[in-house]
Amino acid sequence: MTANEFSRIFPQKIIKNFIVDEMVYKSFQACSSDFNPLHVDDNYAIDKGFKGKVMYGNILNAFISYLVGECLPSKEVIIHSQNINYILPVYLNDSLELELSINAIYESVNAISLKFIFRNVSEKVVSRGIIQIGILA
Amino acid sequence: MNKEEILEKIQSIFRSILDNDDLIIDYKTTSNDIEEWDSLTHIQLIVAIEKTFQIKFTSKEIHEWKDVEEMIESMKQKL
Repeated sequence: MTANEFSRIFPQKIIKNFIVDEMVYKSFQACSSDFNPLHVDDNYAIDKGFKGKVMYGNILNAFISYLVGECLPSKEVIIHSQNINYILPVYLNDSLELELSINAIYESVNAISLKFIFRNVSEKVVSRGIIQIGILA
Repeated sequence: MNKEEILEKIQSIFRSILDNDDLIIDYKTTSNDIEEWDSLTHIQLIVAIEKTFQIKFTSKEIHEWKDVEEMIESMKQKL
C-alpha cells in the first residue's frame, strides 16, 4: 500500500474514547517504575497547585499506540516519530477523547504525518501533537 | 536559489535530523559517508526537506540520487 492509497481509505477523523482509570494508572506505574510524588501523592500534587496526583503523560502515548496499532484503516504501519505537547494535567478517572486526522502525506518516502488532539470531558485540549507513520510495503 | 544556497540550507537540516552540529556535507557526500544517515533518518531528511522547501519528490527521484549533488539538482528544478 502507498501513502496516497492509505490516505484515501483514512476517514476524515478517527475518534476514540479512553478513561485513565486505576487499572491504566497502576499498569503504567508498574511498567515505568516511576513513583515520582507528583504521580503518587495527592497531598504533594495539591501542594504544587494541582487538583490531585497527576497522571503520567506517557499514558497518553500508550493510547496513541493503540490507535495507531489497532484503529487505522491498515495495520501495515510503523511509527517513525511522535511529538506530544502536554497542555493541561490529566487526573485519575478522567475521560479523554482522542481525535486523529491526517496532517500531511509524504508519498516519496511512503510516510504520513498524523495530527492528534486529546480533549477532556469539558472539551478542553489536554494534549496535542504529531505522529509520523510509515506505510509498510 | 542556487546550488550553494541549497547546500547551505540542507546542511542545517542534516545537522538537525542527524543530531550532529559539526556535520559538514558537500556535493559528493553519500549515505555511506555518514554513520547516522540510515534508512529511518533518510525518511526524516526527505520529510524535513519537503516541508522546509515546500516541494514534493517522487520515490523514483529519490532512488536515482547517487549523492547530495543529485539531490540538490532535483531540488533546484522544483524551486
